[in-house]
Amino acid sequence: MNKPVPAHNIGDYVPMIDGPDKVSGRAKFTADIVAPGQLAGRIYRSPYAHGEIVSVDVSEALKLPGVKAVVTGADCDKGFGVLPIARTEYPLARDKVRYRGEPVAAVAAIDDATAREALRRIKMTVSELPAYYTSQAALAPDAVQLHEKKPGNIERDVLYELGSTEQGFAEADLVRDGTYNCAEVCQNQMEMHAAVAEYDAVRNRMTVHASTQVPYYVHLMLAQILDMEMSRIRVIKPHVGGGFGCRTETLNVELIAALLARKAQGTVRIVTSREETFITHRGRPETDVRLKIGMRKDGRITAVECECDQRGGAHSGYGVVTILYAGSMLYAIYDLHNVKYVGRRVLTNTPPCGAFRGHGTVDVRFAFESLLDEMAAELGLDPFAVRRANFLTAPTFTDNDLMVNSYGLPECLDWVERESGWKTRKGKLPNGNSVRKGLGMACSHYVSGASRPVNWTGEPHATVKIKLDFDGSLVVLSGAADIGQGSTTILAQTVAEVLGLDLSRVRVVTGDSELVPKDNGSYSSRVTFIVGNAALDAARNLKALLVNAAARKLEARPEDIECLGEVYRAGAQDRGATFDEVVVEALKDSGTITVTGNYSTIPESHGGKKYRGAVIGGTMGYSYSAQVVEVTVDEETGVVTVDKVWVAHDCGKALNRLTVEGQVQGSVWMGMGQAMSEEAAYQDGLMVTANMLDYRVPTIQDSPPIEVGIVESNDPHGPFGAKEAGEGSLAAFLPALTAAITDAIGIRFNDLPVTPDRVFEAIEKRKRALEKKKGAA
Amino acid sequence: MDALPDFRVLNPETLDEALAARAQHPDSKPLGGGTDLVVNIRRGILAPSVLIDMNRVKELHAIKVDENSIEIGASVRLTALAQHSDVIAHYPVLAQAAAHIAGPTHRNMGTVGGNLCLDTRCIYYNQSEWWRAANNHCLKTTGSMCHVAPKSRGVCFATYSGDLAPALLTLQAEIDLAGPNGKRTIPLEHLYIGFARQDVPVTETQGDGKFFLSLRPGEIVVAVRAKNTPGLRSAYDKIRIRRSIEYPVAGVAVALKREGDKLTDLRIAFTGTNPRPVLLAGTAELCGGGIDERVIKGLDALVRDQIMPMKTTFTPGHYRRRVAGVLARRLMTRLYES
Repeated sequence: MNKPVPAHNIGDYVPMIDGPDKVSGRAKFTADIVAPGQLAGRIYRSPYAHGEIVSVDVSEALKLPGVKAVVTGADCDKGFGVLPIARTEYPLARDKVRYRGEPVAAVAAIDDATAREALRRIKMTVSELPAYYTSQAALAPDAVQLHEKKPGNIERDVLYELGSTEQGFAEADLVRDGTYNCAEVCQNQMEMHAAVAEYDAVRNRMTVHASTQVPYYVHLMLAQILDMEMSRIRVIKPHVGGGFGCRTETLNVELIAALLARKAQGTVRIVTSREETFITHRGRPETDVRLKIGMRKDGRITAVECECDQRGGAHSGYGVVTILYAGSMLYAIYDLHNVKYVGRRVLTNTPPCGAFRGHGTVDVRFAFESLLDEMAAELGLDPFAVRRANFLTAPTFTDNDLMVNSYGLPECLDWVERESGWKTRKGKLPNGNSVRKGLGMACSHYVSGASRPVNWTGEPHATVKIKLDFDGSLVVLSGAADIGQGSTTILAQTVAEVLGLDLSRVRVVTGDSELVPKDNGSYSSRVTFIVGNAALDAARNLKALLVNAAARKLEARPEDIECLGEVYRAGAQDRGATFDEVVVEALKDSGTITVTGNYSTIPESHGGKKYRGAVIGGTMGYSYSAQVVEVTVDEETGVVTVDKVWVAHDCGKALNRLTVEGQVQGSVWMGMGQAMSEEAAYQDGLMVTANMLDYRVPTIQDSPPIEVGIVESNDPHGPFGAKEAGEGSLAAFLPALTAAITDAIGIRFNDLPVTPDRVFEAIEKRKRALEKKKGAA
Repeated sequence: MDALPDFRVLNPETLDEALAARAQHPDSKPLGGGTDLVVNIRRGILAPSVLIDMNRVKELHAIKVDENSIEIGASVRLTALAQHSDVIAHYPVLAQAAAHIAGPTHRNMGTVGGNLCLDTRCIYYNQSEWWRAANNHCLKTTGSMCHVAPKSRGVCFATYSGDLAPALLTLQAEIDLAGPNGKRTIPLEHLYIGFARQDVPVTETQGDGKFFLSLRPGEIVVAVRAKNTPGLRSAYDKIRIRRSIEYPVAGVAVALKREGDKLTDLRIAFTGTNPRPVLLAGTAELCGGGIDERVIKGLDALVRDQIMPMKTTFTPGHYRRRVAGVLARRLMTRLYES
């Protein structure tokens, strides 16, 4: 008989375990949930950008046969918001409307046509106020305040200096500055926002199905908004078609559905349109960055001054966190000292922004890497050399007390430099008549889970349970929300790996507050690291229990038991017991077995106290990314084609190479959209691009070959050494692209997106300048 | 999601039945692939009470093509046109234009008749009911102002974006129409009346972005026809921000003849720029010699005079006009030298 061997999956290409349901259409998303007697919900949205509500007249809507309930701001006076310190938003506007598209009233009716007709009958009158669509306009000294408690329309300003920038700039051989503007972008996940709320009037209980990344937050906010005990609420997260951050916060759609359901004493389903999903927003704010860097001749950075303004939109949302991330994440990628950061989160009459993949870090990273590239050229240094001159040495703490334990950036740089043929090809690419080629590179990084959750109560950061019963199947119970990123698969893999079992023995139950342990949800790339560690703990606990049972059965000492997955034995000569036999033995003690695994981040990872909000940016481990982008620029049309991307990502350890590669490619691709074509544009506060034609997400036709190199730095705290893989590779694409364009045509673009018309204009401008110069000479 | 409003669908089997249905339901719309119409209905832009599904009308499905002439039924799918080997061989501009339309699934559904009659587009028009109401509506729907040109005094500047029309215009195509008063054939160029001339009242021959087709009430497109010109070289290209799905930022069809070192025939047509597809006037004067500085500059001047993109898309008009010119020059030069 061959020696039985434990099954392994870590490091393999493992197809997602929920893949078959998704590709066959069996997977149920929120919009697929249809209950008998269900009512159609629709939201009346403000056509005004800013005004005091004089009246919301719903009387005509209520007269329409088939209308079962209408709710307005009068139905709920409780504010909501992801941050306990900033709950200034109401599910339905009260007193004021602050952006075009803000929910004002909602209708539940027997069908959609009736609900639509009811909306037409709602009349709102407002006393209009001046509206501000840019940060500059909202910051003007005489601007009317959007929110009573936010003077100057500043949601939050941040100012700190660590070290001395004065001294740092004095030590520099070259000091340069630049201004950068990144347009507002939306996540545009595949599934539109939807919620189904079922109110049980007899028992006064509420069940809400929501397309959310954090069911726990929805639970908290429902209790707050409905003024209901949490124990009466159940939140179910069906399959979710992406989120990329916009569903981290509880959305007004989920709360409005619940308000309607309670008022109608029934079940209400709201499925928003693509336009409404865009306008609900929570994307990346338009960002202005002013950056100044001091550098020595050898590329060593001596000082950094960064000013960042974010046009946050009409409500707080995640704003405070976003503006803090933009500053704190200057650190933890290079060895920086003498850094000054000035951040302003501005309130404007546009839809509220939120957390977007690479939360807060992307636009500042674009500016930083762009200026590094520019300064490298001026000093005659290779862009790779400038990065190498500023490496961190792990383990270390940064000046703002961020803990860095593993640091694969050097290997990332080596990989993309080698694979792209940088040394031999840079500056030597063949150019055509009006077509020029270029290569550019840049780096980025991201956290593997915020080390301190927003609503921290002292309990473990994650809890996972495993149930094992008579059938020998392992059921993993977790509140972690799989939103398409593959977290469910990673939990199954982790448990199977520890026990040496095939994945087919493991099932994962998630997304129902009635069944699974609470989880802080899918944001800040936390699930693999934090929930993964809890799953690891649970699996080890289960294994210990099974080893004990096997010892009893085999009449051996536990320390002599060898776990080979499907076989447990005491030494090589022992025929051992099968897994199923061990399970029978184990169940004799307690019946159905449930084990718990926990994980908490260590205090050292919680950032410091050097400035208010220094906890933001703290994590157990940072991922690192380096990219080389090759482009072709058509100088006559301004069309930029990305020919190829090489990207290396340090994810600590690739638990699943298939999903790591997919996430890294997805990050590059999403960065490409922001860099080249995507922009949430407004006309007097009305989003012009709230559809899939005008909001230009790249198509597969625009997608270049993306070569992914996986760098494994084996983080000492990560599960099997893993860190995050889903966000860190987004930011580097933007500056790598513009560096490549600069390499191709000698023009640097500091404003995004770099659309063909912008490239064309810049080339024309240069032509005119040259002609003028000629004329003058 | 915006649900479709209620409407009836009629399924005529013959052209006569279709015409009768049209006559009976003046509020009806002919339905081809639905890739334009259904989107507009869903957005609440149009609300016809009856759709006449043209897909079962057999006489509209044929492609008759050889090296001498081509006739394409209105219900022919764009994919079929793009992939037809004789069309590729003898009328490359047409096959290329068809292949450039939207994305593959749109082409599988979209029809030749539908693409020729594609509704004009504008960022103030192709929006939801809520959006248009919040923006005070516009001239093309129920409003009193064109947001693109607020001083236009009743003229709508929505842009024509069909890809087939410019290709067919360079082939000097004719279009067969059938209506309550019988059949008629007109030059394709006369179908498009979106001249959008300021201070010129809209008539049957002078329209704008709103009244951009010369179709009479109840008329249906039957087929489009063209004769081949021996020795004609032709091609189509377009600029778009993404390489699939999108309507053209600017699309250009070029057909030309070269005899020895002389350009003897030159036809250039544009889409995505004006409220009509524009067959450039005055190209005959560029013929007679090779392609030199005079021709290039002459072409630039013609484009400058006749191509006038307005702020109907998110991409600036100035850019659209300039790249339209670049594409025209490139295609012309390439075809001449090929």
